[in-house]
Amino acid sequence: MRLTCPYCGSRDHQEFTYRGDATAVRPALNNTSIDDHNAYIFDRSNPDGVHQELWNHTSGCRTHLVVERNTVTHEVLSCKPVGPFARKLK
Amino acid sequence: MVDAPEKQSPLRDLAMPRQIGTEANVELTERLCDSLVQVQAWPNSVGKVEKILKTLKRCVTMPSGPGRWLIEGEEEGLEEGLRRELTDDLGAVTGLTHARVVISISGPRATRVLASGIALDFDESNFAVGSTQLAHHHEIGLTIHRLAEDQFDLYVFTSLSRSFWQWIEKASAEYGCRIV
Repeated sequence: MRLTCPYCGSRDHQEFTYRGDATAVRPALNNTSIDDHNAYIFDRSNPDGVHQELWNHTSGCRTHLVVERNTVTHEVLSCKPVGPFARKLK
Repeated sequence: MVDAPEKQSPLRDLAMPRQIGTEANVELTERLCDSLVQVQAWPNSVGKVEKILKTLKRCVTMPSGPGRWLIEGEEEGLEEGLRRELTDDLGAVTGLTHARVVISISGPRATRVLASGIALDFDESNFAVGSTQLAHHHEIGLTIHRLAEDQFDLYVFTSLSRSFWQWIEKASAEYGCRIV
């Protein structure tokens, strides 16, 4: 599988580190519900089909990416930068 | 300010000058930087930092990420100079002189040796002379600066450089290698 880093270009996925589900939303700081925090950390839907994932280009420019990937076919639909430099990379 | 410790070769005996094989289609050299600095600009100060870096003389500036550069200077004291110019509101300056060793590879088979272990397109349409690419070899991060069609400087983590050298020496031996 190859991912297209917006800074470095098309690279082998071994240069990247998987950082988890990009759709998980951290509970608000004032939310003290242990169930909500438990769900944020552990509960994942594991969909078959298109999924958004966070990856980091650890062996390259170290940019965080949101990768839209089909978990059945491994087709990569998009790689979008996130973080403070995202606007400059688009 | 405490004086920086004396620079020492991390490769030591591994990079002793010698000939491997009868031909010399690849030449390997270890080089210790006089000054190596990483500059990271903040997102809103990239332009200002770029302007400052353009005024540097006798330096090689290699882009290494968004708003980030690796700069090798021919003289010691680059880090102190950049710290004076780049204040905290513009970015961060990190001295890497002792953290990286440069392994230079050249010769008619140099590109082939690198391509045999590094998953990177070395064609000049993707990797032009004078440009820099970031890659890795078995989890060892590399900053690769192309000096000519068949001449590269590889900036390798000092602590992992012996392991990387063992690979590059074995990969070069296939074509005949001279270590200088």
